[in-house]
Amino acid sequence: MISQVFILSSKGDHLIYKDFRGGAGNDIVSIFYEKVTALTGDQPPVVMNHKDIYFVHIRQGGLYWVATTTAGSSPFTITEFLNRLAALVKDYCGSLSEKSVQMNFALIYELLDEIVDYGYIQTTSSDVLKNFIQTEAVTSRPFSLFDLSNVGLFGAETQQSKVAPSSAATRPIQSSREQGGKSEIFVDVIERMTVVIGSNGLLMKADVEGEIRVKCYMPSCSEMRIGLNEEFSIGKSQLRGYGAAVRVDECSFHQAVRLDEFDSHRILRLCPSQGEQTVMQYQLSDDLPSALPFRLFPTIERDNGGRLLMYMKLRCDLPPKSLSQELSSPDQSAELKPQSRAVVWKIARFAGGTQLSALFKLEVPSLSSASMLEVGPVGLSFELPKITATGLQIRFLRLSPIQPGPSQRWVRYVTHSDSYTIRI
Amino acid sequence: MFSSHRHDDLKEMLDSNKDSLKLEAMKRIVAMIARGKNASDLFPAVVKNVACKNIEVKKLVYVYLVRYAEEQQDLALLSISTFQRGLKDPNQLIRASALRVLSSIRVTIIVPIMMLAIKEAASDMSPYVRKTAAHAIPKLYSLDPEQKDQLIEVIEKLLADKTTLVAGSVVMAFEEVCPERIDLIHKNYRKLCNLLIDVEEWGQVVIINMLTRYARTQFLNPNINEGGSGDKTFYGSDEDEDEDEEEKEKKPYVMDPDHRLLLRNTKPLLQSRNAAVVMAVAQLYFHLAPKAEVGVIAKALVRLLRSHSEVQYVVLQNVATMSIKRRGMFEPYLKSFYIRSTDPTQIKVLKLEVLTNLANETNISTILREFQTYIKSMDKDFVAATIQAIGRCATNISEVRDTCLNGLVQLLSNRDELVVAESVVVIKKLLQMQPEKHSDIIKHMAKLTDNIQVPMARASILWLIGEYCEHVPKIAPDVLRKMAKSFTNEEDIVKLQIINLAAKLYLTNSKQTKLLTQYVLNLAKYDQNYDIRDRARFIRQLIVPTEKSGALSKYAKKLFLALKPAPVLESPFKDRDHFQLGSLSHLLNAKAGGYQELPDWPEAAPDPSVRNVEVKESVRAVGTVTHRDTGALWGPQRMEGSESCSFPRAVPQRGVFLQTIAPSSALKSYELLHRITGEGLSVEYCFSRQPFSPDANMVAVQMQFTNSASSDTKNLHIEDVKLQSGMRVKEFPEIELLPAGETATAVMGIDFCDSTQAANFQLCTHTRKFFVSIQPPVGELMRPVFLTENEFKKEQGQLMGMNEITEKLTLDVKCRNEHAIVQRVTTAANLSRVPCGSDKECRFAGRTVTSGSLVLVTVATKEEGAAQLTVNCEKMVIGTMLVKDILQALTQ
Repeated sequence: MISQVFILSSKGDHLIYKDFRGGAGNDIVSIFYEKVTALTGDQPPVVMNHKDIYFVHIRQGGLYWVATTTAGSSPFTITEFLNRLAALVKDYCGSLSEKSVQMNFALIYELLDEIVDYGYIQTTSSDVLKNFIQTEAVTSRPFSLFDLSNVGLFGAETQQSKVAPSSAATRPIQSSREQGGKSEIFVDVIERMTVVIGSNGLLMKADVEGEIRVKCYMPSCSEMRIGLNEEFSIGKSQLRGYGAAVRVDECSFHQAVRLDEFDSHRILRLCPSQGEQTVMQYQLSDDLPSALPFRLFPTIERDNGGRLLMYMKLRCDLPPKSLSQELSSPDQSAELKPQSRAVVWKIARFAGGTQLSALFKLEVPSLSSASMLEVGPVGLSFELPKITATGLQIRFLRLSPIQPGPSQRWVRYVTHSDSYTIRI
Repeated sequence: MFSSHRHDDLKEMLDSNKDSLKLEAMKRIVAMIARGKNASDLFPAVVKNVACKNIEVKKLVYVYLVRYAEEQQDLALLSISTFQRGLKDPNQLIRASALRVLSSIRVTIIVPIMMLAIKEAASDMSPYVRKTAAHAIPKLYSLDPEQKDQLIEVIEKLLADKTTLVAGSVVMAFEEVCPERIDLIHKNYRKLCNLLIDVEEWGQVVIINMLTRYARTQFLNPNINEGGSGDKTFYGSDEDEDEDEEEKEKKPYVMDPDHRLLLRNTKPLLQSRNAAVVMAVAQLYFHLAPKAEVGVIAKALVRLLRSHSEVQYVVLQNVATMSIKRRGMFEPYLKSFYIRSTDPTQIKVLKLEVLTNLANETNISTILREFQTYIKSMDKDFVAATIQAIGRCATNISEVRDTCLNGLVQLLSNRDELVVAESVVVIKKLLQMQPEKHSDIIKHMAKLTDNIQVPMARASILWLIGEYCEHVPKIAPDVLRKMAKSFTNEEDIVKLQIINLAAKLYLTNSKQTKLLTQYVLNLAKYDQNYDIRDRARFIRQLIVPTEKSGALSKYAKKLFLALKPAPVLESPFKDRDHFQLGSLSHLLNAKAGGYQELPDWPEAAPDPSVRNVEVKESVRAVGTVTHRDTGALWGPQRMEGSESCSFPRAVPQRGVFLQTIAPSSALKSYELLHRITGEGLSVEYCFSRQPFSPDANMVAVQMQFTNSASSDTKNLHIEDVKLQSGMRVKEFPEIELLPAGETATAVMGIDFCDSTQAANFQLCTHTRKFFVSIQPPVGELMRPVFLTENEFKKEQGQLMGMNEITEKLTLDVKCRNEHAIVQRVTTAANLSRVPCGSDKECRFAGRTVTSGSLVLVTVATKEEGAAQLTVNCEKMVIGTMLVKDILQALTQ
C-alpha cells in the first residue's frame, strides 16, 4: 500500500507529488529531502522512516523516485513498483530527465492515476495502460544538434551514440503511433564484465552478464524474429559442432518470447510491444571464449629518493580494427585523487592490438617495504563498442508482415566493465 | 496579484466552448497540482466540466476532483449525479471509471450512494467493473468504518468470483478490511491456488502473502519431526517430484494435499520477472515448505542480485537472514556473493554478512583469501566490516582460528590506523577464547600503545593487558607507567581502562604498582568527567582497604579477576527471522506500523473439509485441463540436460486481460468420435477460446475422452496427421491410461491458417485407430482484441470497399435487446466487445489467429427489429463466412 508518490530532482525541486490516501502533511517532501541529503556515503538506505511514515526511494535518471507507506507493506513491492514506474515514464516520455518529467506533468499524473488506485497497484503493463492513457507526450526539440552529444545508447551511456541515429531511443512510444513517425526498431546486445585478475597474472574470476534489449517504434509489427549465432549453446553439456561455440551458462527470456524455433535454429520469435523490453538475459562465468580485452603488467618499485614508482604497461588484446587506425598515443591524462588515495589514468581511445605504458612517481612520506604491499588493486572501467565478450551475434532481424513504408532496423553491440579488477 | 490574474485566464479557458482550450487549461491546472501548488480556487470552474464529452478533458477533471473534493464538499456534490449516470453507462470502461472517481471522493454524505454503487458493481457482468468495485471497498471502509459488515458481505461475494482480474483486487480489499475473517477464504482457497499463475503480477503478491498467513493457521508444520539443527540440505534441483514425496516421508506426518497444492502452484512463479513476486514466493517457501524443498528458492533469489542496487539491497537483507537458518541452501552460490569494486558500501557490507554466514570448514580458505583482498579497499567502512567478518569466521570455525589471528596480527603493522584499530578490537575478542596460548601476541600489542591513537583500540589493548597481566608480568607494569604519564590527555574510554588496568595490577602485583595506582587514582579523582571520578572513588574503596571499607574489599580479586566468558560474535541477522521475510519490519528489524505477525503453526490441524467445494462435473473437467495444460507447457519447453536454462512461464498478460473482458459465453461442443464407432470410446471437442500458450498462432481445441467400455484404454495419441499445406498441429501429450468409466481431457493446438479446412488425423489407442477430423466454424478462427472506440473507427476506415460486407436483417424476436445481441454474436464468433457511446450500435473486434488480420463487426439496430450487420475484414473469405454465421445467429 502506497500513501504518496513523489519525484524530486537531485536539487530537491518538487517535480511530481501525488497523495493517494490523504492525510499526510505537506512538509513530507522536504522531510525526505532533508533526510536523504543529511546522510553521507555513496548510497542512503533504501528505506528510511520519519515517525510512522516509511520512505522507500530509488534513484534513476538523476531523480529521486520516492514512495511513502505507513502500514507494513513489502519493501520489494514498492521498490519494484518504483522501478517499473520509472521505466514506464521513460517509455511514455521518451527519456528520463528532469526536463522530460517537467514537460509531461499531466501525462505522468495520468499514468500514476491509472497505475495506482488508492495506494494499490493496479497494473504496470504498458499494453493494458495504452488503452487508458489519453495525454500526448511532449518532447524537447527532437533533432537538435545539442542533444547529439549526450544521447546514449538506451540503458547505457556510451560514446558509441554518434554512430546510432541521434534521436534514436529517446522518443515517446505513443506519439509514434499517432503521428506515424519513423518506423524503427533497435536491438541492442549489452554485456557487462566482472573480472578479477590475480597478482600472478592469472585469471581468478570472469563473469559476463548480458542482455538483448529491444526498443520498438513499429506501430504494426506483429512478429519479429531475431536469429542468434547458430552455434549458440546453453549450459555445459551441449556442444554444437566444432569450432568456437558461443556458450552461456544460463539464459532466461521475456515472457512474450516464443522459443519453438530456438532449439533447432536459434531463433527468438516475439511480438514486441511498443517501448523498451529486455528480451533475453544470460550469464557466463569463468570460461570466456576469447582473450580478455585488457592485460596490465605492473611494476612497483622504490627509487633511491624514497619515491614510489609505478610502471604500468596496459595492452589491449582486441583484434586491431584496421590498418589505417592511428597508432599515435591518444589523449591521455592522469591525476592523483588525494581523498581516495588513487591515481586516475584516463585514456580516451585505445586501439586493439596496441600497448600503452605510463610511469607514475609518487612522493610518499615514510615509505616502508611493508607499505609497498598496500598498493593496489587496479580497477579498469571501459566500454567496448561493437564487441561482445561472449561472442554472441545477431544473425538477422526479420519483421513480418513486411513493413509498409520506410523502416529502419538497428543492431548495436556494446560491452561494459562492471568491475574489472587487477590485483597487484 | 499575478497568480489570481492567471487563474482568471484559466477560468476563461475552461468556460469556452473549445475542447482544445479546456484541455490546455486542465493540463496547466494538473501541472500545478503535480508540483504541489494550490489550485483549489478553480473548483467551481472545473467542476462544471465534469460532464464534458472529450475524454481527455474528462480524465483530467476527474484527477482534479479527487484531489480537491474533500476541501469543497458542497461543490463536489454537484458532480455526483454525473457519476451516477456514468454507473449506468453501457460502456464498461465508463462504468468503471465513474465508480473509481465516485469512491475516491472523500465526502461522508455520499457514503450510502457509494455503498449502493459498490454493491451493484460487484454483480456487474464486466469483470473489469467488478475489479473496480473491489478497489472501492477499502476506500469506503477508510471513509466510514461503520460500513464494515456490509462491506464484508460484498467481499465474500467477490471472493467467489472466478476471473483472474478480480482475484487480486478482492484479496487486497480483504487484507485491508477484514484480515481476521480467515473463514471467508476456506471455500475459495483451492480456486485461488489454481488461478494464481494467471493473476496480474501485483495481485499475485497480495494473494501469496495472504495464503502464507492462511496456511500457517490451517496446516501442520511440515518440519515438526525434524527438530533441532537439521542442516540437511537439498541442492535445489528443479525437478523434485511431488509423487515421490509420500514415499520419502517415512514419518507419520502427512502433508495436507491443499498445503501441497499451494507449494506446487506457487513454484513456477519463482521465474517471474517481478522481484516482488519472486520474493513473495521465496518467503512462502521459507515459512511453509518442508526443509528439503526450501532449496529451490535460492537460485531465484540469487538471480535477483542482478537487478537494480535497491532491489539487491533488499534481497541481501533477506538472504542474510535465511543463510543463518539454512546455510546449505546458498552454498552452491557462494561466488555470487563476492564483492565487486563497484558495489555501494551498504551492499558490500551485506554481502560480507552473507559470506560470513556461509563460511564452513570446506570453503573457509577461499573466503579468507577473498577477505584479504577486500582489506586493501579504499572504502574504510567496508574494510572495518571485513575485519570483523574475519573475526567472526575465526570464532565460528575453530580450525582457522590461528590462521585468522596471525592474519589479523599482520594487519597490526598496516599503515592505516583505522585498519589497525579495528584489528585490535577483533583480536581482543579472539584472544579471550584462549589467552594462555597467545602471550606473544599480547606482548606485541602492548608495544602498539606507543603508536595507535584510536581510542577504542587503545582501550582494547589496555583491557587485554590488564585481564591477562599474569601472562605478561614484566610488560604490564611498564605499560601502566607509560599510561599514567599520558593519562590526562587520553579519551574517556581509555582513561577508564587505565583505571581498570591499574586496579588489576594492584591486586596481582601490588609491590611494583602500588604507587603508580595511587597516582592514577589521584589523577582520576580530579577528572572533568564524573564517570571517571566515580569509578576512581569506587575502585579506591574496593582495592585499598581502609577501616571504612566494608566486607566487599575482601572479594576485590574475585570481582576484578573473575573468569569472563568469551564474547560470542553473532550475526546481527540472527533473530531476524521472527519477522516475516520480505516484510518492511524485517528490513528495519523493528516492528513497523500495521505489521501482522505470522501466526504459529497450530498444534493440531483444523478440519480440512472446510475447503471442500461442491463442484459441478463440467467445471471440474475444466479445472483438470488447466492443470494438465501447465504441465504440458513446462514439459516440452525445458531444454534437454540443461537445468540452468530457465524459461519463465509464458503468462500472457495481455491475453488474460482481453479474454476476461470479453463476455464469456457457453462453449459449444462437437462430437469427434461416437461411442458406437469408437467401441466404447467417445470423444467430444470444443474450442476453449483460451490462448494456446505453446504457440499463439494455434487455436486451442479442448478434447474430452470418455471411456464407456468395460476395459481400460491405453496410449491414447494422435498419428498420421493429414493437413492442407501451411497448417500445423500441436498434439496433446499421450494419455497413457484411461480406465473404464473414466473421463479425461486434453488440449491440442491447430493452426488452421485462417481457413475452415478440416484437420484430418488418426486417433490411436493401444488396439485401434480411428479416422477423425476437426473442422472449425469460422468464428473460432479469431481471438478477441481490445480496441477503443476511436481505434475501432480508424481501423474501420481503412477496411472499406472490397473489405466491407453489409447485410440488412430482421432480428429474432428474442434478440432485440443489447444484451442478447452481444450474447449471440460472441457465441458465434470469438470476438470482444468494443466500447461504444451510442446504444443503437454494438461493435466487436478480433484478429484472426494465424495472420492477425483485424475482424471488425458492427450491429446497428433500428426500429422494430430491423438491423444492419457490417463486417470489415481484409480476408474476404473470412468476412463472407462470418456474415453468414452471425446472420444466422441473430435471426434464429
